[in-house]
Amino acid sequence: MEKSIENIWKDGFLESDALVAPKVNNLYNQKSIHIIDKFKRMFKINLIAIVAFSFAFLIVSFFVGIPITGIIFFITLSVLVIINKRLLSDLHKLDMGVSSYQYLKAFNQWIQKQVAINEKISRFLYPIIFLSMLLGFWFKDAEGIPLGERLVSEILFGFPDTYLIFGVPVIGIVIALVIIGLLALFGGRIYKWDLNLVYGSVFKKLKELMTDIESLRS
Amino acid sequence: MSSDFYKTSILPFAGIIIKLCRAYTNSQEDFDDYYQEVCLQIWRSKDNFREESKWSTWVYRISLNVCLTLLKKKKNNVQHFVSDSITVEETEDNFAFSNESLNLLYDAIRKLSEIDRAIIMLYLEEKSYKEIAEIIGTNPNNIGVRIKRIKIRLKKILDGKVN
Repeated sequence: MEKSIENIWKDGFLESDALVAPKVNNLYNQKSIHIIDKFKRMFKINLIAIVAFSFAFLIVSFFVGIPITGIIFFITLSVLVIINKRLLSDLHKLDMGVSSYQYLKAFNQWIQKQVAINEKISRFLYPIIFLSMLLGFWFKDAEGIPLGERLVSEILFGFPDTYLIFGVPVIGIVIALVIIGLLALFGGRIYKWDLNLVYGSVFKKLKELMTDIESLRS
Repeated sequence: MSSDFYKTSILPFAGIIIKLCRAYTNSQEDFDDYYQEVCLQIWRSKDNFREESKWSTWVYRISLNVCLTLLKKKKNNVQHFVSDSITVEETEDNFAFSNESLNLLYDAIRKLSEIDRAIIMLYLEEKSYKEIAEIIGTNPNNIGVRIKRIKIRLKKILDGKVN
């Protein structure tokens, strides 16, 4: 007689080899392969790298004569680190002992919040970085006068009809504004695109799991 | 993790963990990694156990939640997600059980969606619909219908009628 799946299951596990646990050694020191731990590690490494980079850049900026860039960089990236450190502490609160739906939902909410906040930050971050570089080089000392002023005087020498606003050529202001606008427009998208490259499959799987459980809840 | 905790709090429930990890892995190497990860997360989460449920149910929840959200190793990118100091001693050279029917059933279960795998595993472990619903976080009324559908699909897979 054909066996039911229940009987196959019961009979199968009566055999002595069916439930042999792998021996685990030194588990405490193992690096976790879990997605949450992976996020935590990635976050920590990123935050440390940002702090180290912004601090190093701050010092270098004084030596190369663009302290404005260094200071704006340092302040902007510090804000980014503080916000993301808070996000990371939320991840520590996730409880794995709750139902799968609650767990997946909490994890998904954390991801959505993290993505949304960093997407918003990216819209400001890229334009601020561009602006800081622009200001840094504009006010960089060039033989006694700021580099920007020197550049303007050379432009005026070649093109005396150049229209200026607050001493800056209009064409320059327009180009800078266009670049800032484009960076603000695409900053969030660049962040999402970058994130999807690495975690796209994880997000897709989470969405599928949630949809499947939600179909059972309705 | 102290070996005492492993021996007293995890090893007695290793059967549950092994059965579940088997359903979500296709190789001995992946199975060892999943088993280790579940043990690690149980140990890390032990302080969150509030005795609102049985320890075995709680272990089941952790195991399931880990299996559902574990990053699978990519063959060409192993070092990306995995420790360089794994010390699992493999106890079997072959991933398959000696019971052929059980192997076929596991192969069929692996062809189900992740949630269906969880439901049928809990059902086969003789959990009530209410318990299954509590572990997964869904409505118990729909569990019975879903189990019927899963069993039909499993039967078709076992009979070679669908992939």
